[in-house]
Amino acid sequence: MATERTVTDTGLELVRPSVVGPSQAGVGTTLLRFCRKKPLGAAGGILMILMVLTALFAEVLSTHDPIATDAANTLAVPGAQHWLGSDHLGRDIYSRIVHGARVSLIVGVLSTLFGSVLGGIVGLLSAYFGGKTDLITQRILDILQGLPLLVLALVMSASLGPAVHNVVIAISIPIIPRAARVVRASVLSIREMQYVEAARALGIQHLRIAFRHILPNTMGTFLVLSTAQLGSAILVEATLSFLGLGVPEPYPSWGRMLSVSAAEYAQRAPHLVLFPGIAISLAVFGSNLLGDALRDTLDPRLRGR
Amino acid sequence: MQTYILHRLGIAVLTLFGMSLVIFVLMRLAPGDIVDILFAAAGYVNESDKKLIMKELGLDQPIWVQYLTWLRDIVSGDLGKSYRYDVSAWQIIRPLLPVTLELAALATLISVLLGVPAGVVSAVRQDTALDYALRVFSLAGLSMPAFWLGMVIILVLVVWLGWIPPLTYVSPAENLRIHLVQFLLPALAVGYRSSALLMRITRSAVLEVMREDYIRTAWAKGQSERIVIWRHALKNAILPVVTVIGIEFAFLIGGLVVTETVFNLPGVARFLVQAILWRDYPIVQNLVMFIAIVVVLSNLLVDLMYGWLDPRVRYGD
Amino acid sequence: MPRLPITIALLALTLVVLVGTPAVSQAPKSGGVLNVMQRGDLAQGFSIHETATIDTVWPSAPCFNNLVLFDPAKPVESMDTIVPELAEKWSWQDNYRNLVFLLRKGVKWHDGQPFTAKDVKHTFDMVREAKDAPAKFRINPRKDWYANVEAIEAPDPHTVIFRLKRPQPSLLMMLASGYSPVYPAHVPAAEFRTRCVGTGPYKVKEWKKGEYIEYVRNPDYWVKGRPYLDGLKYIVIVERGTRFAALQAGRLDVSFPGEATKPIADQLKASGAKLTFTEVGANVNDNLLMNVKKPPFDNVKVRRAMSLAIDRRGYAKAVHQGGAVAGVAMQPKPYGVWGLLEKDLNQLPGYGKPAEDKAQARKLLAEAGFTPTNPLKVEIKTRAITLYLDFSAFVVNELKLVGVETALSQIETAQWHPLVTRRDYQMGTNLTGLGIDDPDGNFYENFACGSPRNYTDYCDEQVMKMIDQQSQERDAKKRLAMVWQIQRKLEEDAARPTMGWRIDYFPQWAYVKNLIPHHNIYNYGRLQDVWMDK
Repeated sequence: MATERTVTDTGLELVRPSVVGPSQAGVGTTLLRFCRKKPLGAAGGILMILMVLTALFAEVLSTHDPIATDAANTLAVPGAQHWLGSDHLGRDIYSRIVHGARVSLIVGVLSTLFGSVLGGIVGLLSAYFGGKTDLITQRILDILQGLPLLVLALVMSASLGPAVHNVVIAISIPIIPRAARVVRASVLSIREMQYVEAARALGIQHLRIAFRHILPNTMGTFLVLSTAQLGSAILVEATLSFLGLGVPEPYPSWGRMLSVSAAEYAQRAPHLVLFPGIAISLAVFGSNLLGDALRDTLDPRLRGR
Repeated sequence: MQTYILHRLGIAVLTLFGMSLVIFVLMRLAPGDIVDILFAAAGYVNESDKKLIMKELGLDQPIWVQYLTWLRDIVSGDLGKSYRYDVSAWQIIRPLLPVTLELAALATLISVLLGVPAGVVSAVRQDTALDYALRVFSLAGLSMPAFWLGMVIILVLVVWLGWIPPLTYVSPAENLRIHLVQFLLPALAVGYRSSALLMRITRSAVLEVMREDYIRTAWAKGQSERIVIWRHALKNAILPVVTVIGIEFAFLIGGLVVTETVFNLPGVARFLVQAILWRDYPIVQNLVMFIAIVVVLSNLLVDLMYGWLDPRVRYGD
Repeated sequence: MPRLPITIALLALTLVVLVGTPAVSQAPKSGGVLNVMQRGDLAQGFSIHETATIDTVWPSAPCFNNLVLFDPAKPVESMDTIVPELAEKWSWQDNYRNLVFLLRKGVKWHDGQPFTAKDVKHTFDMVREAKDAPAKFRINPRKDWYANVEAIEAPDPHTVIFRLKRPQPSLLMMLASGYSPVYPAHVPAAEFRTRCVGTGPYKVKEWKKGEYIEYVRNPDYWVKGRPYLDGLKYIVIVERGTRFAALQAGRLDVSFPGEATKPIADQLKASGAKLTFTEVGANVNDNLLMNVKKPPFDNVKVRRAMSLAIDRRGYAKAVHQGGAVAGVAMQPKPYGVWGLLEKDLNQLPGYGKPAEDKAQARKLLAEAGFTPTNPLKVEIKTRAITLYLDFSAFVVNELKLVGVETALSQIETAQWHPLVTRRDYQMGTNLTGLGIDDPDGNFYENFACGSPRNYTDYCDEQVMKMIDQQSQERDAKKRLAMVWQIQRKLEEDAARPTMGWRIDYFPQWAYVKNLIPHHNIYNYGRLQDVWMDK
């Protein structure tokens, strides 16, 4: 391949980063420096932390049962009783969004993890062994990567049927080749390093070298990749749910909150369209900002500027 | 050079072949009876009718025979027969192609027009308020769900203007103005989303180039800032930008899926969603294949352009 | 609607008073193409006989004619509103055993061939799957409508006789449905999936798959001077929000049957667009399925308790925002003609005072052994579509109030009918659309022993006898009384409790004239008298 660049479907480009040495400074100082140097990234980080907290404490934060219908209070405007209004069945939008954070995060994190780990392993082994193994693996990854993430996820979730675990599978499979590419590139540069050579000379087993010595050094790359993919996974989940192929009822999903009924009541109750859309955008925005900043930080060519 | 092109072409064909296999297998993972799903509109299909239909559609054949039949259909050019429409898939797919290709081209153009200047400005004014504003703006576009953006656009138009774009395709020959109006809004929605990627690539490429010695020299020589940037920096940054435009195509087509649906544009992506829900295998297979071909070709094109733009890249693998 | 300046309104009023003719009786204008809303693309092309969906019937109807049809100008459909179409006259003979049609002469198919009795026999022999039928439909959803037809004869080119096994006045109702067009004998049935050769007021010009279906005026139509319009264009818009935005913005002239719910209508009214709205029954009901073959629903007490628990008036308000009405097995008045009277309705489980009914439900459950310490737990299956899910959400909540614990499981939409046909469920929430407002059309399909679409498998000998009796009854009054009795019995046995009947607010632009929505989504798609005052 003449290009070594990989593009995630959120559009974040993952240029192959070189090895990042273990940080000399303490975690606190590093964080502080990151915040000062990358205020946008820090903002993204805060958004992500907020989302995680919301998902963790959904029960505490929500004011209503997200599934309970209330015939007397349908399409209520935002106010004291329903902070963000209620939908056509009288369900509280705020509580549904809070619980929706959990659904989005679970699906997003699980599919990203699943896809990145699997892809990471494939990339690691492919690069380490090189030669024919690498060539064949690369061709197979080409195949999977040639299809837009959403199209592949669409076909898969339609095939597998509506269920949370199927949505996770449908979103994670397309992540595999993207993860494999990035990790492979990073491993290739490490492989030739002296300490790996040394380990090999000492007769340490392949797999052990790969996992003990090379893997830890690709963690930086891996982190960037996962952050960037998280946003894209959340977006794909929302889109699938919007098209009716995502997370099924009764889980409140942001994407499904925007499907049929929202469009139907959009003019009378714009809050039905507005708030879930903003929730999705903020979550993805946060992960994009953070991913962006991490990439810059870990990319040596742009370091120190 | 020639051997290189041949080599790349060979890989492209192999990739497409593999893709056809993946798509074919994926579609057949579906649980439940395909005939039940195909004829859900009739409510209920009894067992004996079901057998006849399976036979009529060739679904009684072993899977591998069905796959080979499809490959033969592709080679022969008629792409097989749609389950739902009873006519050749090619007849249905052909009118969809120009719509999607035009929309994709227009969206790419918009993303270049938005992303490249924004990236240059952002790099030149690195870490200023303007830089942050531009980056937030472009990333915001990337973060909004395409279907939501479309929904909001339609909503705003109909509430404020009582007007929305035409709902059936108007060809440029029929009426160029209406045609452009019809394509502009969805292209803007998709292009804005894609511009984020271009912007960040342009930005980092320009940043990198600006550190090179000759730019510093030019700067030091006192040439006006604008000339330096445009003549030197951008010229050298063009390589990664071209790469991204090529790769972006895959991303962009993903964005079209819902945008075409919301704006009711009769393109590949809108039809694909429908065909997936109907389980019209021949249509889905061929539409996904079409997308795959576009993606593989655009990647191939980028590879070849690399050599043309940058003589340092040697052909040989 | 924006208010006209008062002076203009007064002037107009004076003019009307002076001239003395109301603006309504304006002479129809010819010309123009009507843009019609279409929810999804045609399912089996124009082959109405091979589908059971409004997505096909609505945009295919202008191509065809029936033998007889429900009067397009009258919203209520009954035996009395049936008008001739390809049959000029008809008569019952031999005590409702033989139905004789005298066919219109000089009618031509769109390809120029003459229409004759052979075409009628061909069509309905295929539908009833006669032994000597010339061909077979790929799928034939309405075979059971004609179970009573013994033979169809065509003694001469302009006479057709339907011979029945026993008297059945309702046969005429079935023939008047939008589901009963006459196909030509010289065109293979399979070809209707890709093209259309009918005798109807409009000819298919182009079907752009997934985008639109376009018709042009049939210049040789057998009604002189009709249709008024130059053509029709059914525009497929999959996204619901876009669909109604298009109507509001004037890109569409008329709605799609059954699509405009109360909130949509309210929203369109508030928008100021010059639309008119017609409130009609859709002849579609929401019903609760309880598998009579599976415990605990083999116990009528438990079924009754479920029915008591669900407040029907609350249902219409909560799930449909008032866009539905309470009623049992047949569409209620004034939309339908067979519905129970309000006073009888109030005696049935779930229609009384909610608190009393719920207390009664708890008592019945306790009698069946389900107490707060040993609560009844059921799994409700439903189709993964918003329409069904909203309905299910309400049912779950109501059952919770009488101490029933429920788990909701969603079935992918295409798997739904196969699943309930296999009876693979304990409890389910379901929608039923009826092609005609007729007891035979409904009871034999949904409540008769052994019918595949009697999803609950409810089977009662006495009820079967009553169904057969009303079917043969020629006296309309007596038949109505019998039908009322059957409905009460079905509801008391909680055979398939009806939750409510949906209402459509069919919107169309004020300049569209003569498109009169019926209290049934399937039967007013011909559009031959429609014109535009533009």
